[in-house]
Amino acid sequence: MSDQSVTEFKAESPALEAWRMFRRNIPAVIGVIMLMVIVGATLYGTFLYGGDPFEIVWAPHEPPGVTPEFPLGTDYLGRNIVAGMLTGGGPTLAVGLAAAALTMVIGISLGALAGYYGGWVDNLLMRITEFFQVLPALLFAMVLVTLLSPSLWTIALAIGVVSWPQTARLTRAEFLKIKELEYVTAARAIGARNKRIIWKVILPNAAPPLIVSATLTIGVAILFEAGLSFLGLGDPNVMSWGLMIGANREYILDAWWPVTFPGLAIFFTVFAVSLIGDGLNDAFNPKLRER
Amino acid sequence: MSALLEIEDLRVTFRTRYGEVTALDSVSMHVNEGETLGVVGESGCGKSITALSVMGLIPSPPGKIAGGSIRLNGEELTTASPARLRAMRGPDAAMIFQEPMTSLNPVFTVGDQIAEAIMLHQKVDKAQALKDAVALLDRVGIPSPETRAKDYPHQLSGGMRQRVMIAMAVSCRPKVLIADEPTTALDVTVQAQIFDLLNEIQRDFGVAIILITHDMGAISEMADRVAVMYAGRVIEDASADDVLDYPQHPYARGLIDCIPALGRDDHRLAEIPGVVPPLHLLGQGCAFADRCAFKQDRCTREKPLLGSHGHHPVACHGIEEARL
Amino acid sequence: MNTSYILRRLFYGLLLMLGVVVLNFLLIRLAPGDPAVVIAGEMGGATEEMLESIREEYGLNKPVLTQLGIYIANVAQFDLGESFFFNQPVTTLIGHRIGPTILLVITAQLLSIVLGVFLGVIAARKPNGPMSAFVSVFATIGYAVPVFWTGIMLIILFASVVPIFPVEGMQSVKLRDAGFFVKALDVLHHLILPAFTLAIIYLAQYARLSRASMLEVLGSDYIRTARAKGASEGSVLFKHALRNAALPILTVAGLQFGNLISGALLVETVFNWPGMGRLAFDSILRRDYPTIMGVLFFASFMVVVANILTDLSYRLADPRLRGR
Repeated sequence: MSDQSVTEFKAESPALEAWRMFRRNIPAVIGVIMLMVIVGATLYGTFLYGGDPFEIVWAPHEPPGVTPEFPLGTDYLGRNIVAGMLTGGGPTLAVGLAAAALTMVIGISLGALAGYYGGWVDNLLMRITEFFQVLPALLFAMVLVTLLSPSLWTIALAIGVVSWPQTARLTRAEFLKIKELEYVTAARAIGARNKRIIWKVILPNAAPPLIVSATLTIGVAILFEAGLSFLGLGDPNVMSWGLMIGANREYILDAWWPVTFPGLAIFFTVFAVSLIGDGLNDAFNPKLRER
Repeated sequence: MSALLEIEDLRVTFRTRYGEVTALDSVSMHVNEGETLGVVGESGCGKSITALSVMGLIPSPPGKIAGGSIRLNGEELTTASPARLRAMRGPDAAMIFQEPMTSLNPVFTVGDQIAEAIMLHQKVDKAQALKDAVALLDRVGIPSPETRAKDYPHQLSGGMRQRVMIAMAVSCRPKVLIADEPTTALDVTVQAQIFDLLNEIQRDFGVAIILITHDMGAISEMADRVAVMYAGRVIEDASADDVLDYPQHPYARGLIDCIPALGRDDHRLAEIPGVVPPLHLLGQGCAFADRCAFKQDRCTREKPLLGSHGHHPVACHGIEEARL
Repeated sequence: MNTSYILRRLFYGLLLMLGVVVLNFLLIRLAPGDPAVVIAGEMGGATEEMLESIREEYGLNKPVLTQLGIYIANVAQFDLGESFFFNQPVTTLIGHRIGPTILLVITAQLLSIVLGVFLGVIAARKPNGPMSAFVSVFATIGYAVPVFWTGIMLIILFASVVPIFPVEGMQSVKLRDAGFFVKALDVLHHLILPAFTLAIIYLAQYARLSRASMLEVLGSDYIRTARAKGASEGSVLFKHALRNAALPILTVAGLQFGNLISGALLVETVFNWPGMGRLAFDSILRRDYPTIMGVLFFASFMVVVANILTDLSYRLADPRLRGR
């Protein structure tokens, strides 16, 4: 069946078109709102609510909804869970963002070089990538954090160092595809340098899948940080959702609430991020959506 | 005697993002036992949809048969159960496709794929089916068929693959064989071989063939009768000689003029201006009106119907009025 | 598939493992302070004699390259040093723990692939149906749930609300003297919750992936061919389509193996499963570097083996790659 739509031509930039698609995607908009609420709560909640999450304020294992001052109850030491929930999001989000940024920087740089230059550069970089994929990421990150002694920065660094290979592969694949296209040849024909072609010609055109991947990487990094904190490898002086779960793990059969609420917080954060990622993916690939 | 396959007033619609679109509109044609019907027209005119309707293979949703009837051997197919249609595919009607490169499953040997067709419809064991498959490969002119049967599709050339498709299609001795542009994807030299093979198969198996093509040369070589389609309708329906020698509809005339003829070196090859309009933009009138050199007022207002206005059935106001 | 390819693949795997050994060596030297103290472990309370014997064994007074040579030679003889905390050779320690980890990881892998692919295939039959919606919602949720938290929630559920599965360890103490069969059943009983916890994320991903992969394959020409020869819907889905759609699933399964081991580390910790992950957790808390490095070595080894097996089975599954 012929289906070429002569009438549908609109002069619109792809980014604007994508934004239109994204705005109409209800799950993605819900994701954005959820994330704004969570970020808002962690940014302002601490100031408005006050309260030290480490401070013992009440009897241990006060169930939620009993004492009005502690709507989510207290943990095994009698610490306020609401205070933990509000302050615990900050480090998780910060580490998630920093680690995702690092992952993207390493992954895009190496993937771009490998895909653009090909030959021995590609060979060498891809062997390194495969090597990093052989190391179980969480285990390797645990070793790195232990060696460097845990702090928010070392955790972000460790997550970035173990997560970049997938981004590198994706970037390489995009570069391999795009570098054959006419406008790259045209740029070369007018004498553009390699550096310019890589960063100013190819990279912007590889942006859509990389933006989607960056979004999903934030989600993975948040889960990663939560896992490390849960294992007790986070910064011990900073309250985080993962740490709350890890600390109360021994007492789950006595009290379900100290582990359930921070877990839900992690879940909703990553869920919101991945709804946004899916929405971006659909917005950049409108054809896939019609299937 | 009634025809082997009779399509009457067939209407097929597709749900698209532009709403419901009519892909076939009151299409009628028939095929008699042992003859070859050529169906011609540009891409997107509904030839393949017609073929898939006969096979019961319209992708549904979004497509559906919205009206009309298809009778094979007197049996109504538009209302047949899925199980009945399945049983019919192979022994009654079979089909070969345009793309031999992608029409065979890449992970099974060609012998297995032919044997599967045999075992689906005949009570034979695997060993016997494989033996029959080898015999069929031999029959369609594949050298050393025993070894070829163990090959995977990617090990065969395009022409060989189309021969395999033909072997698979005739494995259950169908009464009608639909060939949907069987040579379009092949080299010119191979095209002639495939047409020869189809002719041989028709002679030996007595199968009726529906040859879908946009190649008028192939029609002149193969077809007994011709149905010309345009934008989801049949616009001319007659014997091959009549259509080739006395084309009536301006579109059919255009198609004939496009045939390069030997010794006609003084002519430039004609072409029909414009393209087939998208189905969702079809209006009230004749779908060909915008490209037609003989357009009248009436053509943009009213759809012409297929009727015997002159030499043979044609759907055109111009012809109709010239003969009034 | 030819032997030279297998040999090449094995050699490459060996190179990767050499890389892991070198990395281990570098990591110990990256740690601040005297490597001998690092190896002895901060909580080992190492005496000066002990440190001296470590320096002797690892050649820490010799040039760095010689140290590396000694380290590689030791690992080649499966000597990964001594855990000063557990007071056992690291290989012995891991030898006791690797079995339960393999059991957990393989069970979770099979569970997630079989169930995930089944869900995906069912969903692909109706791309806009309720099952498709369920698969995509489930996949998004599965991706977002922290695996250790799923484990904890399941423990709360099955320990207090519906106590039908054991929530801790791998064997019941009271069955210590039971026969092999009873013990095996007991292990399986213990395995259910951890394996399911670990499988659930990947299950969701395989469901989404196989749905997408099936949708792509179901639109291909050879599926139309299979339908045209009268194959049943089940045969079309599970034989013709799935064999092709399985290829990308296989690739992802290979790539996921490393993540699965990472996940196992968390799940083992939550369920007190006596595997390598639990060992890694215990030894990291005690800064027992020889054990940590040993776990990293063996976990990477498992990934390398899994990758080689995936590669080989991919070549078996795709005839186009055979013999290359």
